[in-house]
Amino acid sequence: MSNHLSMRSGNPALQASTFKKHLTSSVESKMTLSGTVNKTGISLLLVIISAGYTWGNPGMHILMIPAGIVGFILALATVFKPTIGHITVPAYAVAQGILLGVISMYFNAMYPGIVVQAVFLTFGTLGALLLAYKSGLIAATENFKLGIAAATGGIAILYLINFIMGFFGSGIGIISSNNNMGILFSGFVVVIAALNLVLDFDFIEEGAEMGAPKYMEWYGAFGLLVTLIWLYLEILRLLAKLQSRR
Amino acid sequence: MDNPAIYLWIPIIVVSFLSIVKMINKGGPKGKPWIRIEKVEDNE
Repeated sequence: MSNHLSMRSGNPALQASTFKKHLTSSVESKMTLSGTVNKTGISLLLVIISAGYTWGNPGMHILMIPAGIVGFILALATVFKPTIGHITVPAYAVAQGILLGVISMYFNAMYPGIVVQAVFLTFGTLGALLLAYKSGLIAATENFKLGIAAATGGIAILYLINFIMGFFGSGIGIISSNNNMGILFSGFVVVIAALNLVLDFDFIEEGAEMGAPKYMEWYGAFGLLVTLIWLYLEILRLLAKLQSRR
Repeated sequence: MDNPAIYLWIPIIVVSFLSIVKMINKGGPKGKPWIRIEKVEDNE
């Protein structure tokens, strides 16, 4: 277990040296697994409540872009100052909930029932990967972490290029295409997003074992939340591509 | 393909099943048994 000091994660929020910077010598108020699970639950609840509220109130849809910008700023604030995670992470969850509520509503209008399927698939994947991690079926070895980090970085670069190309009225076809290659690409991204959950579990478990300070529970919850939101959006995209071929 | 979501459940079910099988067999024939009955000495 001591080799976890060289942690590596594909999630930009969960970097190798994160815990080392925040280790505490104090006996009191250490990060625990149950504390992180509770904070993840609170954050998820906030996402679901704000997404549900946005879905039911079309007037809230004008908040989509501001919520995206605020969410991005809060994510950066959490990464650079984890000590204020108890404020930034719940606020980030609410902002992301607004964004997800609007996106989900549009997807559901195009393909009715797709959102419920995506939500169940996301939580199904979370449960399956948690079982796989606890049973040791998937172990977060150094090579595994390196592979997932490289694949996640590659996907991030591809999405960034696609975003920039969007300003010139162009884009990378494979990302939005519903042909066989487009579906294979989306399937690959879903698998990588799901495997990032294993890195998050490992990060949280090691944080608790290494005696990280209590505020890192919010940070661990934030990492898991970022991965879950990404996974949900990718599953939604994959389902939409599959539905559009029917 | 009536409902494509059904196909996405297949890997989730397979991973869950394999994990449960691994958990059950973790001890194996040479490993730690789930229930162990030991002989108790008189003065133990």
